[in-house]
Amino acid sequence: MKEEKEINLVNLVKNQRATILAITAGAKTAKRLADLGVIPNTQIKILRKAAPQGPIEIEIRGSSLVLGKGIVSKILVKQT
Amino acid sequence: MSKQKLTIALAGHANVGKSVIFNHLTGLHQHIGNWPGKTIEKAEGTLYYNGHTIDVLDLPGIYSLSTYSIEELISREYIASQQPDFIINVIDATNLERNLIFTLQLLELEKPVVLALNMANLLKEKGISIDFKKLEEILGIPVVPVAAIYGKGLTEILDQGIALINKKSLPKIQKYGKEVEEKIEKLSQALTGNEPPYSRRFLAIKLLEKDTEIEGFIKEKKPELLTQANRLGLELEKIHGHESSLVIADERCHLVSHLVKQIMKVTPRQKIGPNELLDKITGHRVWGYPIMFIILGLFFFTVFQTGSALSAIFDKLFSGWQAGFQNTFGTSLLSALAWSGITSIFALIELAIPLILPFYFILFLLEGWGYLARVAYLTDNLMHKLGIHGKACIPMLLGFGCNVTACLSCRIMETQRERFITGFLATFIPCGAVSIIVFGLVGKFLGIGWALGLYLFIFLIILVLGKIAAIILPGEPTELIMVMPNYRRPDLKTIFLQTWFKLKEFIYIAGPIVIISGIIIEGLNILHWLPHISNFLKPITVTWLGLPIATGILLVFGILRKELILVMLASLLGTTNFASILTPTQMLVLALVSMLYIPCIATIAALKKEFGWKKALGTAVFKIAFAIVISGLVLRLLNFINFNIPFVPALQ
Repeated sequence: MKEEKEINLVNLVKNQRATILAITAGAKTAKRLADLGVIPNTQIKILRKAAPQGPIEIEIRGSSLVLGKGIVSKILVKQT
Repeated sequence: MSKQKLTIALAGHANVGKSVIFNHLTGLHQHIGNWPGKTIEKAEGTLYYNGHTIDVLDLPGIYSLSTYSIEELISREYIASQQPDFIINVIDATNLERNLIFTLQLLELEKPVVLALNMANLLKEKGISIDFKKLEEILGIPVVPVAAIYGKGLTEILDQGIALINKKSLPKIQKYGKEVEEKIEKLSQALTGNEPPYSRRFLAIKLLEKDTEIEGFIKEKKPELLTQANRLGLELEKIHGHESSLVIADERCHLVSHLVKQIMKVTPRQKIGPNELLDKITGHRVWGYPIMFIILGLFFFTVFQTGSALSAIFDKLFSGWQAGFQNTFGTSLLSALAWSGITSIFALIELAIPLILPFYFILFLLEGWGYLARVAYLTDNLMHKLGIHGKACIPMLLGFGCNVTACLSCRIMETQRERFITGFLATFIPCGAVSIIVFGLVGKFLGIGWALGLYLFIFLIILVLGKIAAIILPGEPTELIMVMPNYRRPDLKTIFLQTWFKLKEFIYIAGPIVIISGIIIEGLNILHWLPHISNFLKPITVTWLGLPIATGILLVFGILRKELILVMLASLLGTTNFASILTPTQMLVLALVSMLYIPCIATIAALKKEFGWKKALGTAVFKIAFAIVISGLVLRLLNFINFNIPFVPALQ
């Protein structure tokens, strides 16, 4: 098994790409995210982060999505 | 033969142009109400097309058909039980994949659907090509490319939909993975088919998704099925390693992903268009903020400038009417009461047309353009400190115009908790009427710095109260999950109609109560009870707040409309030189009390409509007590440090 570096989505910076590994949010939030296409094994790209503690905007499935900081911190990714 | 009278519903995500299509279809033939028992907007309209009378219902903008929010539940129940003749699923063609996830859920209800691919005109510019015919084939429903803003494709949607009714063809079933399909099959077989309005497959899927509403629905009919569903769900969990509801959502995403690969091609472009550039600048982590202040500043400036100009015109227009009225009807008790009712109507007109109309218009313009979503993005962090999230910026912004409109717009928040916190805090935002007091009293006599200082103080109070409300109100804060719309040309027709219907709503809610309470207060005046009220309030106004005794009456009138505090002060004095009866400290305290105390009567009515009597009165009582305590403390602080505020030099 190749070792994968699992990091929190919060730690990515603008223009970095990553693959979602896991979503540790509660069932309700996880379901809502899935309805918008945010599920494990999906490619994302950081479009921008609002200063300093604000939400981030990601590109996922060809669309952009804004996620609040509290949700972002519950998404684990692998940088690609 | 086809029916003459049809019912259709529009369903889809927020920000896909659903309301543009709705407004183009129905125009002025629409009415906005509430869903029975819910404070969720229900927009219905009528359309006459090729001999058909078509009732069009605009369902709330939602992202799924699970039960994450009341809007989703309402939409699902409506589609299932009301059996519209067909559903128009409006999707944003430039965000196809995300939108199709919802489409797949909608098709699971097994009702006739026409897929309207809106913003088809932007596809070329974005380098996207979509094979519409193939999409039609795969889903088994008509697919119509639409450019709603130009009204293009709308008649084809209707033609296709009407043809669909006669054909009675239903969407093709999109099959999940083998394990999931097995479970769906097992559950479907156990369902007898006596479960209308839902289809068996839909119920089976929702049971596996652990949908609480459907579980309750089945429990009444076939309780043993729940155990079976649970067992099957657990089997799925074992295979996939996460909850069965997520298994299905995951598979749905994969289905869509696979589908999109077959029908869509994207040619990446090198050139950055003007809208992308605009997006880069206005959403920038540094530049976004000064630009936001400039845009919002211009927004308020324009509204208040046009507002005061229009107000002056109305003042002139109405000024001669009182004499005319008294000449015709005399000065009897009844005519005095009637006149006070008429002045309330004038005041409403002077509020609605010069202030609320331009406020809504520009706000909807910014929303249609796509800028409000950027404001929500930029302010999310700040709003989080208040226990709410970025979307609350809209009610907060509206609050600067009128608290009534602010309270009514809290519906955009997802949960009841967020709605109330937002509404409660929005009543602290100094509205147009309050700003008249602050600038007309403090700004004019003590200098603009003091006026702005008061605003800053209020913002600080909002921050602290928001923090406290977030802690004491039960429930988890909702996080911002928002789809960022592209910048686009706003549709003026939609904006005009939205403004018109919002204005109407304002008049319906504020009108009656303002007129009635205006008459009651005039009655008290005629009975010479107002001085008694002033005397009664003396311990508070004079002893605790150090204000002249007459302010008691002012504060009573202020409940009606805040700016009356200043208007009545002028009429009691017979002059607008307030420096002759109020000391600088008194001005500051009076302005502060006016800003903080009871929301005006129309705002209370709006609070009642959105949150019920208990919370409306609770908010009013809290605000009165809070205003008295804080203003008294500020006075004592000013006295304690022996601080003397000078009048502005020009007045000395």
